[in-house]
Amino acid sequence: MADVSLPESTAARRTISWPKIPPLVAIAVLWVVAMLVVAILAEAIAPYGVTKMDLRNRLSAPGNAAHWLGTDELGRDVLTRLIFSIRISLLIAFGATAISAIIGTLLGFLAAHFRGLAEQAVLMLADFQASMPFLILALAVLAFFGSSLPLLIGLMGFYGWERYARIARGLAISATGQGYASAIRQLGAAPSRVYLRHILPNIASTLIISMTLVFPEVILLESGLSFLGLGVQPPMTSLGNMVGYGREYIGSAPWIMLTPAAIITLTTLAVSLIGDWLRDKLDPTLA
Amino acid sequence: MTEPLVSVDGLVRTYRMRAGMFGRSRDVRAVDGVTFGINRGETLGLVGESGSGKSTTGRLVLGLENPDAGSVAFHGRPLPATDTSEWRASRARMQMIFQDPLGALDRRLPIAAQVREPLDIHNVEDEEFRTARVAELMRSVRLSDDIGQRYPHELSGGQRQRAVLARALATKPDFLVCDEPVSALDVSIQAQVVNLLIDLQAALNLTMLFISHDLRVVRQISQRVAVMYLGRVVELGNADDLFVSPQHPYTKALVSASPAPGARRTERIVLSGDPPNPAAKPGGCAFHPRCPSAFARCRTAAPALVEVAPDRSVACHLTGVESHAATALGAVA
Amino acid sequence: MARYFAIRLARAMITIALVVTFAFVVLRLSGDPALIIMGPEAPPEVIAAFRKAWGLDDPIWMQYFDYFGAIAKGELGRSMRDGRPAIALVLERIPATLALTIPALLLKLAIGIPGGIFAALHRGSLIDRAVMIGAVAGFTVPSFVLGLVLVLIFAVQLGWLPSGGQETWRHAILPIFTLGIGGAAVLARFTRSAMLEVLGQPYIRTASAKGVSWRAVVLSHALPNAAIPTVTIVGFMVGTLIAGAVVVESVFSWPGVGRLLVVAVANRDLAVVQCILLLVAATMVTSNLIVDFLYSFLDPRLRSRETAGAH
Repeated sequence: MADVSLPESTAARRTISWPKIPPLVAIAVLWVVAMLVVAILAEAIAPYGVTKMDLRNRLSAPGNAAHWLGTDELGRDVLTRLIFSIRISLLIAFGATAISAIIGTLLGFLAAHFRGLAEQAVLMLADFQASMPFLILALAVLAFFGSSLPLLIGLMGFYGWERYARIARGLAISATGQGYASAIRQLGAAPSRVYLRHILPNIASTLIISMTLVFPEVILLESGLSFLGLGVQPPMTSLGNMVGYGREYIGSAPWIMLTPAAIITLTTLAVSLIGDWLRDKLDPTLA
Repeated sequence: MTEPLVSVDGLVRTYRMRAGMFGRSRDVRAVDGVTFGINRGETLGLVGESGSGKSTTGRLVLGLENPDAGSVAFHGRPLPATDTSEWRASRARMQMIFQDPLGALDRRLPIAAQVREPLDIHNVEDEEFRTARVAELMRSVRLSDDIGQRYPHELSGGQRQRAVLARALATKPDFLVCDEPVSALDVSIQAQVVNLLIDLQAALNLTMLFISHDLRVVRQISQRVAVMYLGRVVELGNADDLFVSPQHPYTKALVSASPAPGARRTERIVLSGDPPNPAAKPGGCAFHPRCPSAFARCRTAAPALVEVAPDRSVACHLTGVESHAATALGAVA
Repeated sequence: MARYFAIRLARAMITIALVVTFAFVVLRLSGDPALIIMGPEAPPEVIAAFRKAWGLDDPIWMQYFDYFGAIAKGELGRSMRDGRPAIALVLERIPATLALTIPALLLKLAIGIPGGIFAALHRGSLIDRAVMIGAVAGFTVPSFVLGLVLVLIFAVQLGWLPSGGQETWRHAILPIFTLGIGGAAVLARFTRSAMLEVLGQPYIRTASAKGVSWRAVVLSHALPNAAIPTVTIVGFMVGTLIAGAVVVESVFSWPGVGRLLVVAVANRDLAVVQCILLLVAATMVTSNLIVDFLYSFLDPRLRSRETAGAH
């Protein structure tokens, strides 16, 4: 009897009980997934080429059978441009969030591992980053170097690194001071094994929550820069570019500006909702 | 007598404590000149209150920290400096058991993966061997096979400590430092784990340093005992003799507070004064403010650890031939 | 107390030094500073004089220290567009920016703080929900979208207000609201959570259990304590008075520092960019110092903790 019931109880313990997802969060997840699908399949689902001009249908209103979301002043399909803008904006946001998470976590680990001067230097840089408006620093860099897609992703990748660094440092110090990390170290493991195989998985949930907080801010930052004409450069287009371009036609063709503006707002809103929910579920200590 | 497996000579470890960012820093000697040896197959019990430096001593002996002075020799050779690759390789020969087994385990990995980890780290044999070795280890610490697939939080305290023990024994080390290994466990589980340690020690001819504040447990497991007070060893000797006839006033007080089973009940000596604080160490003999028989010399000079009988060393001005006269004087004063 | 400020002051100096270092590194990485600052059309003798004045022929570490020296003396270069000193260009734009950011700050405070307190005291009420939704919107709607939507409604559709420019006070209304609304919502959410945290503290319950009227408890115990975290975010808002309107000024073609910065970046007018960068850093650092100073008034525990200092 006992032999039969034992595996069952183990299996029951193993099944992860998914917490109930509130409808609003479910919608947010669906939205983000939809945006990702659009970004990945941009070529396949876009009705026209990005730069294809339909000169007979310039500034046509949404609802047009040939151009669902209307066209701009050059007769370019708004829906098509929107789809490619989503791709570029998400590419920058994902790339930058990943870069900043990697830089921040790495610096946090270095601070925790070496302590002393290295730690002070990291904390000083983090203080500096947190106390300067990032938009100004970003504008300064763009002024000196000009704008290109890799530079923009790299630049945005410096946004928010200090949050990961602080979290990674704090959690790594508490892990190495007492407990599993010092236990692994005294087994003879090299630091890379201690940090990557043990500490990183243990703090991953906190880092992922931080990513959901940084991600919408990166979207806002990039769209702001592109809106100002200093971010993504034509012929490439991002959501911020479209708003900036559409602003010229705010009186005659407001849809050019309103659709990308709505996408920006809904996407940041969706990721924020998911992040808030995850934070409440997984890590109430993050304020 | 053969050379001890582990010999510790004049270990000193100083911590720098600083008040505030620009506050004046002050050195605190957590371990202040500790010397002892542990023979192969022997268990040395290390006893003391919190703040006595016993845990720091354990970490120094195991080479987890570098001493500020003194040395540790293992198999007659000095330990490599910490966090060098030789140091990491040497971990296969010496291991540690921690007070908090839940803290010492990674909560995201199943037990079997963690028991196996030292074999992966030190690249022992092949996959097949490692898997077989894990099963063997689990049996040797009396954990059933299905426990290997569970996570630390799904285990009881005793099971966790046995898993930690299995992990520590994976690479067949010669030397084990146990830092309060049972004090976080229920009393009923303590005996179980202590008995397991005693059995394993006999079966594997392990050498152990067993650190505890609990004299009862130390008496059960140790062949020899060292008593520490504020960073120094005040008495060292054969476990049975030491508990029957303690020489140092501090040992006497400890033993009186925890009499041996079946022993004649003696008057309990209650220590007065503040508990030991390494940051405010008294001059002379560090124990003198709490010592019932302290006299003038104790306030000015720290006594050295002297062999007073075969396998018995004591650090007290009262022991030894010429100081017996002073006992009377001290009592009067 | 003195040491508390010594530490804060040291940190402020480090921040400034880091900004200067940042400017120096970026400047050196991007090309010949003489050509960049003075412009490619500058006469050779001007370039030579510049090189001499900035010590561009010296070793790099010496240049680094000279750079500090030059900035300390206020030598921030000339705009490559009209050849005027960059600092003068920036200073003359500051009043226009403050004409937006100061009223916007007052708007944020006037809506955000009472709104947050009210929401906290009436948890779950309609106002509370409005504050929470507004805070989320304030965070997720970018300021340029909000600004353009306001233009669309009040300028394009209704025709009540001008959509851009700086001729009359009416031109300032939309940009001030654009800046103020989002910030007000964020501030309200912050004040609300600070209040809720304080209201949950044991001493508040003790005070009201002792029979002190709820009104008195809120006024004399809860508000002063909730003010402490709120001061931080207000301090940050003060720090962004100079440069917090970059995007909004561009939306409304408002000729302030932010607009100047955007145009300077687009034209790669580096002396002007560098000057604004340093000005922003100085403002941020000063407002941080003021916040620290206010802190020590609001929270005497902070002082004693710092001076006792045992970590």
